[in-house]
Amino acid sequence: MTMTDSGIKRTALADEHVALGARMVPFGGFEMPVQYAGILKEHDAVRNRAGLFDLSHMGQFILEGEGVPEWADSLTINAIGTMKPMQARYNMFCNEQGGVHDDVIFYRLPDRWLLVVNAGNADKMWALLNAKLPPSGVKLTSLHGKNALIAIQGPKSVEIMKGVLEPDVTDLKYYFCTQGKVFGKPAIIARTGYTGEDGFELFVDGAVAPQIWKRLLEEKKTLGLEPAGLGARDVLRLEAGMPLYGHEITEEITPVQAGQQWALKFSKGEFTGKAALQQQQADDTYRRIVGLVMTGRVPAREGYAVLQNDSIVGEVRSGSLGPSVQNQNIATALVDKDASKPGTVLQVQVRGTKHDATVTPLPFYKRNKQ
Amino acid sequence: MAQPQNLRYSKEHEWVKVEGDTATIGITEYAQDSLGDIVYVELPKTGATLAQFGNAGVIESVKAVSDLFSPVGGEVVETNAALENDPALVNREPFEGGWLFKVKLSNPSEAGHLLSPESYDQLLAEDNH
Repeated sequence: MTMTDSGIKRTALADEHVALGARMVPFGGFEMPVQYAGILKEHDAVRNRAGLFDLSHMGQFILEGEGVPEWADSLTINAIGTMKPMQARYNMFCNEQGGVHDDVIFYRLPDRWLLVVNAGNADKMWALLNAKLPPSGVKLTSLHGKNALIAIQGPKSVEIMKGVLEPDVTDLKYYFCTQGKVFGKPAIIARTGYTGEDGFELFVDGAVAPQIWKRLLEEKKTLGLEPAGLGARDVLRLEAGMPLYGHEITEEITPVQAGQQWALKFSKGEFTGKAALQQQQADDTYRRIVGLVMTGRVPAREGYAVLQNDSIVGEVRSGSLGPSVQNQNIATALVDKDASKPGTVLQVQVRGTKHDATVTPLPFYKRNKQ
Repeated sequence: MAQPQNLRYSKEHEWVKVEGDTATIGITEYAQDSLGDIVYVELPKTGATLAQFGNAGVIESVKAVSDLFSPVGGEVVETNAALENDPALVNREPFEGGWLFKVKLSNPSEAGHLLSPESYDQLLAEDNH
């Protein structure tokens, strides 16, 4: 990690992105590639072949100690104590009102836990974890900015990683990981991702990341591997119905509202936010996140008002063209319960004009599993 | 990059081509490249009157909404209908098939005050420093 004059950090791969002609933007405190060849081209590569992402801006924390599962279970909504060795699990840290501090992934390694948090929340989460340390003794180490994270996502991921990864990971299960090697360099290899496609996430030391990145792009270009930026990643995750922190989940928008009840384990015991979330779910009167497909060609954007019978019933939270959703404009919106039924036609107000949009179940896109 | 010599340019990266009392307006190669994949173009209505440097619509890329300004004032006489179904034409041919709209100039001298190809090139060179 290097600090520039402006205080914006650079990942171990920043020079590679610049060499590839990427457009760099500040994101989560880091200078990150938003696009290389173009968002639509990169999206197409990930859906049909494979894309390579630098996710080294994300926070990586190591949690050690026997007390970790019990402690972490008290701070999160999903179950940690029931995770199998080498399993990965999506989770959220909530506040007392049920709003979300961050959505994260826990990886259970043989002797420790790896916790991956959003870049923009890394400082907040580091402070929160340290403030809540239990008497049982848990050791926290931040690898944020030191360790790199490279993701390969797309239907050709397994074919492309043949011979690159040890051990062979063809049969590695979704949301499991293994400790192995990438081009001979130590790595945690996880079958996780945020695009709706098959793929791997590779946690490696920042010092070896540039050579891994370069070799993959050089040697696997003929198989269709291309660098992909954060712009494509946002379109991919929106199509796949995955929430993005700051949009579908925030300190105010709860996992219940975001339709993430599958990750809520009320049966596991007490945890921060449990009472509020249980109450909200039981009341069932809350505003909720829905998918919208625009009828016309006008894109819906974050913050636009959503109307029903001329009354405001909600607000757009994310919006984009959906190349894998018949090239329609898609969006998520937080709307009143009465406006949330699939098939309901609502209006999105765009620069003073109302445009029809149909409530559509999430996800917009699901890959064909082989 | 060398700019087409028969056009005038604005600091907002629009180009103007004057033919008699009519001007055709579009965005430059630099602008389309900066915006990225264009997915929607909202143009002024035919018959609308635009002020010089006034708002003339929006151009939306996958990620962003950008305001479009008219480098010259006048009445809109035609808009590029091809962009309705193929907004990416602006990416592919910003100076040709991807033109945006035409106005009947209210003050033909306005275009003369816009940037020459050389001045616009210089602006881009400064922007990139």
